[in-house]
Amino acid sequence: MIDQLRQRLQALQRRPGIEGRPSTLPFGVPAIDTMLGGGLIRSALHEVAATGEAHLPAAAGFALAVVKHVAPSLRLFWIAEDMTFAESGVPHGAGLDAFGLAPEQLVMVSAAHRRDLLWAMEEALRCGATTAVIGEMRAGAIDGVAIRRLSLAAAESGTLALLLRTEPPGDGSTATTRWVVGAAPNTNVIPGREHCERTRNPETDSEFVSGFRARTFGASRNDEKIKPRLAAQLVRNRRGPTGSWILEWSDSNGQFILATHAQPLAATALHRPHRQVA
Amino acid sequence: MLSLWLRRLSTDRIVRSRKHETFAPLVITGRRGNVEVLTAADDAARRLGLMPGLALAQARAMHPGIDVIAEDVEADTALLDSIADWCLRYTPLVACDMPDGLLLDISGCAHLYGGERELIADLSGRLEKSGFAYSLAIAGTIGAAWAAARYGEPASYACGEERSVLVSLPFSALRLSPAMVTSLARVGLKRIGDIVDLPRAPLTARFGPDLLRQLDRALGNEHEPLTPRLPVAPYVAEQRFPEPIGREEDVLAITLRLARRLQSALEHGGDGVRRIELSLFRTDGVVRRIAAGTSRPLRDPEDIRALFVERLAALADALDPGFGFDMARLSVIVAEPCPPEQIGIGSSEDAAELCRLVDRLSARLGPRRVRRLVAQDSHIPELAETAMPAQAVNGDAGWSAFRRYRNEADLPPRPLRLLARPEPIEAVAEVPDGPPLRFRWRRALHEVIAAEGPERIEGAWWSEHGGPARDYFRVEDKSGLRFWLFRAGLYRDLAHGAGAPAWFLHGTFA
Repeated sequence: MIDQLRQRLQALQRRPGIEGRPSTLPFGVPAIDTMLGGGLIRSALHEVAATGEAHLPAAAGFALAVVKHVAPSLRLFWIAEDMTFAESGVPHGAGLDAFGLAPEQLVMVSAAHRRDLLWAMEEALRCGATTAVIGEMRAGAIDGVAIRRLSLAAAESGTLALLLRTEPPGDGSTATTRWVVGAAPNTNVIPGREHCERTRNPETDSEFVSGFRARTFGASRNDEKIKPRLAAQLVRNRRGPTGSWILEWSDSNGQFILATHAQPLAATALHRPHRQVA
Repeated sequence: MLSLWLRRLSTDRIVRSRKHETFAPLVITGRRGNVEVLTAADDAARRLGLMPGLALAQARAMHPGIDVIAEDVEADTALLDSIADWCLRYTPLVACDMPDGLLLDISGCAHLYGGERELIADLSGRLEKSGFAYSLAIAGTIGAAWAAARYGEPASYACGEERSVLVSLPFSALRLSPAMVTSLARVGLKRIGDIVDLPRAPLTARFGPDLLRQLDRALGNEHEPLTPRLPVAPYVAEQRFPEPIGREEDVLAITLRLARRLQSALEHGGDGVRRIELSLFRTDGVVRRIAAGTSRPLRDPEDIRALFVERLAALADALDPGFGFDMARLSVIVAEPCPPEQIGIGSSEDAAELCRLVDRLSARLGPRRVRRLVAQDSHIPELAETAMPAQAVNGDAGWSAFRRYRNEADLPPRPLRLLARPEPIEAVAEVPDGPPLRFRWRRALHEVIAAEGPERIEGAWWSEHGGPARDYFRVEDKSGLRFWLFRAGLYRDLAHGAGAPAWFLHGTFA
């Protein structure tokens, strides 16, 4: 009898999405995938926070890159508060399309307040037909119970849940992983060197006949297009260690590649206006 | 056809809104031309000889003790509208007969009350209880009912005997202009009976076609259409309760029952619900109408109930049943042909599930908050796509056409997020056509280290408001943030009198 009850208790206490070899979404970067045990767990809640308000696009890009791996036929719900879409911009279909996500599969939901947002997220997660749900919220703490509810909903339906936040939250979290993502400068760029794509007209033997020049200002060393880079920091991982990487988005194969094997050796000097120079 | 005339609508409105009874004669005044005249008077005032049309100064001189209130046409109209809403309990075909009457087409509805006389009794009882002075009549035509309500016996019933009722009534009962009534009186014609048997041609020649048209309409020789206030729902189910209900669960249970009743009718007609409305009739005469939309034709009663669960949860003010609802009606406002259900194909089940989710979210948050992107036929980035309510969008929303265009045109990179409108920035750039070297956006200074571009996007030159050409750049700043910004206008146009080019930020890349 007691044994039976213990077993039931164990079954109830089981953390969702951890036992029983859950399906994972590999990043394609071996260093990260081994640390995550194969990749991000699909049927779980993951937090992606930007290092600061300005870095939100990078965090959103990171989240969308994760979403991209979910399924060939994606059904994505992007849920945010009213002000968020006005402040940070509405998802742009042409940009999503170039990123490799079908814009017709996106449903945008704007909620008047936090409560509606969490409700909408949970509804979308509980519906078995969605494959990924992104909830974007501005600064402010979230109730631990709400996170727990979302995790459970994601685990039940096998939907990927991503919580996108404008700044790294100070509170503890019950999410499966928490990432802090910011944009990173591309060190391959030689600042200020002008690189012109010259067009030569063989008939008139003159350059720039088309009226204006297409060019890149600040070219990369090997004269390629500049690739976006992200600094991704895994600050919480329920299945193991944490780490931090600089990732580069490669358009050609549509996934991240590791740009550097470690963080830059020396951090950039801090701006300390309060310290008077003697 | 039932014509209801609320004789003292404006004064009844004032009296109803008062807490204490006062006995001073009440008159309502309004400005007509340059004179303040009485527009309405209650029974006490009428007994004193104060009739509408009298100048206010004269009325005050006659009876200084009268209670004078300025007219409020909007409040009267609103009151009439709410009474019309309430009359929907008798029939869906209710028309306002301005300024103080209603027309109800009760054909086929009266038997629900056990007959036309019983319906009249029910209606009069409720009107009396709410404190309205009224008179009403039922007749075969709008004209006859109107005439009988205003000039005949109160609560009269004149079906099939329109002619005998009409002959004794004055001409103003035919809804003729006052000028016409005067000119008829001038030749000695006072009652409708005077002209019923006269030859028609001379009458038309003398008084114009209006007179005989109105007579024909009243006698039923010519059809007069009724314009209902609300569009008539193609499918309706309703339920009356002997005991008023008030709890939300009861309302939802009733909704489910009504939806089940609608289902068979919908299946028979091959239709599904796109927009549905639940009307709840409160015992004190207030009608609550709650509408919900769907993203695909719907028939399943459970789905319809689920919509109203969200709608009721989202109501800003609670349902407020007061003393309870004594009737509920579920009407399908928009129906659409619904293909027979396909069972067994996995993806369609998923799609249905998704539609249900979209409906639920739209019902709770409002359809404008649940949106999908639709590709538009424009090359200007902010016009190239719009976010439309997801319930209104189906199919690929123009994106396959966009992909064809993108493949042909080899579109340069586009940002992941686009600002609602381009935001002006202060930028230092190379003249004439270089990318910015540094710029300030939302008070933060960004030092550009790399830029790609320009991509020239012409304004809509065919339109006056097309705006100047834009040169878009994709730039990266020192900390790795990537922006999409543009210069509106060209420096070379400066010579032609155009303003100096301005810089804007339009979107952000990952």
